[in-house]
This record gives sequence, C-alpha cells and structure tokens, in this order.
Amino acid sequence: MSDLQHYQDKNLLHSSSAGGRSEQLALYDKYSSMAYGIILNILPDPKMAQEVLLNLFASSQLRACDSYPFSYAGCVIKLARSKALEAKQKVASLSSVSEDGEDTQVNSPDNIFDLAFRKGLSIDLVAERLNISRQDVLKGIHLFFKTNRQS
Amino acid sequence: MQNRQFIESGILESYLLGLASESEQVEVKRYADEYPDVQEHLFDLDKDLQEFFLINSVPPPPEIRDELELLVGKHELQKNGTSRDSGNKKRVYTEEKPKEDYLEIEVNDTHIRVHKLWRPAFFVIFLLSKVFLILALYYFFKTSSLEEEIGRLRQQNIEIHKK
Repeated sequence: MSDLQHYQDKNLLHSSSAGGRSEQLALYDKYSSMAYGIILNILPDPKMAQEVLLNLFASSQLRACDSYPFSYAGCVIKLARSKALEAKQKVASLSSVSEDGEDTQVNSPDNIFDLAFRKGLSIDLVAERLNISRQDVLKGIHLFFKTNRQS
Repeated sequence: MQNRQFIESGILESYLLGLASESEQVEVKRYADEYPDVQEHLFDLDKDLQEFFLINSVPPPPEIRDELELLVGKHELQKNGTSRDSGNKKRVYTEEKPKEDYLEIEVNDTHIRVHKLWRPAFFVIFLLSKVFLILALYYFFKTSSLEEEIGRLRQQNIEIHKK
C-alpha cells in the first residue's frame, strides 16, 4: 500500500472518530473481506466469525491503527487475528476442546505458518512442537511468504 | 551481507504479523532505523502480506454491514448522551430532544424476531392440536358406529314385535 493510501485511511479514521458513521462503514467496506477471510481461517464457524468481524469493526481498538507505522491493512490483519484467537480461546475454554496433537510432525512452511498464525501458538511453542529451533520457525514463516509470492 | 541474513531470517515477517518477541521487535526497529534497505524491505513485505491476505479474502454476508451500521449508530447515540449529560447536569428534560438523537432505521428484512420461549410453546400447541384431532376423529367414528348399531337393534326389535 502506498503512503498516500495510508494517509487516506488515516483521514478516514480521523473523521470516523469525530463521529462519521459513514467513514467507519467505508473502512468496513474496504477491509471487511480481508478480515473475514483471516477470521474464517482461525474460526471456521461462520456465525462466530461474523460476530468477531462485527466486534472488530465496532471496537475502538481499530483507532490504534492510526499510529501504526505500516499500512492500515497490516494493522487490520493483526487485529483480526488477535480477535479471532481470543474468541477461539473462549470457545475452547467453554467446550474444553483442544486441538493439541493435530498434524504436529510436519515441518513444512505451511504447517509452521498454520501453527503460528492460525492456531495462535507462540514461536517457541511451535519450535517445541516440531522439534526445531526458533530460527527455523522464523525461517519457515519467511519461506511460506516467499513461496506464496513466487506462485 | 549481515542485512541480507537478517532479512531472510524471517524476523521481519514475524514482526509484521505480531508474532515476534519483545526483544525481536526492538531488534527490528533498531535495524530499520539504522539501515534504510531493511526499512524499505519492511514496507515491501507489508505490501506483500496485504496482497496475500487480499487473495484469501472472503466477502462477509451483507447483513453484517447493516448490523454494524446500527451498532455504530447506537454507540454514537450513547456517546452523545453521556457527553451531554456530563457537560450540562442541570439540563431541563422537558425540552424536545434534538432530531439527531433518533436513529433512522430502514427495515428491509422479511424476518421477525420472537422470544425464544415461542419455540416450545408452538411445539406444545402443535402437539395438542394433533392429539385433539385424533381424539375428535376417534369419537366421531365411534359415535357413528354406535348409531348404526342402535339402528340395527331397533330394526331387530321391530321385527321381533311383528312376529
């Protein structure tokens, strides 16, 4: 995203915090599909994913993106992920269902990204699970995006 | 050379995704401040991440936008209300409310919302109606067969008397 684009998004948010409902909806129109895709990756239940999406765009946390040094979309990505993981943890604690032990042995970049980003495990936990070093986990994430960039 | 290693270590992707530890975040910031090529790479990566997630985006159902519109309106209303109350405690409540306090809602939904107890209530009513229908049919057929029996017995009685 260009600097100009970021500036425009910041302006949108400023007017939104000033009370402009339409500007807040404009941000939703722009980023909701991307955020919904991320949330659905973490929470496959569409009802729950929609609740999280609504919560994300209605929350004041979105205003923190104003001071984010990179693109506005980058901030939305982070927020969408953290909100979805938060909801997932709540559901897991209610139903006491854990996904531990699922496909933990594959050291592919896809699996590393899946464990770290979608399942919300810390880098150290991913390393422990896959019996690899922390550097290898970071490298795996790098390779994941490199492969996706090339394809 | 050192920068290339740093860029290819994956620490920048982790930083942008919010996966990096605090010490790693500090390291990335230090490198970005010190080396313009690292900073440039960070911006490029940010763009790449955005493109990756845009490719995997899923449009949400349109109802969510309507719900958000209502929610944002409600929040605004509450905020306006509290700021007005705190700013002017001696407000005379007999005055007419300003028009912006009202939330304009355009209803284009064909569904209605009812209390959740309506579901068992409807089920009980449905079940009772079926039971009464079966009972009504049972007694109707029983009565008509009894009437036939009475008619037949009357006929027999008349024939006996004639003999």
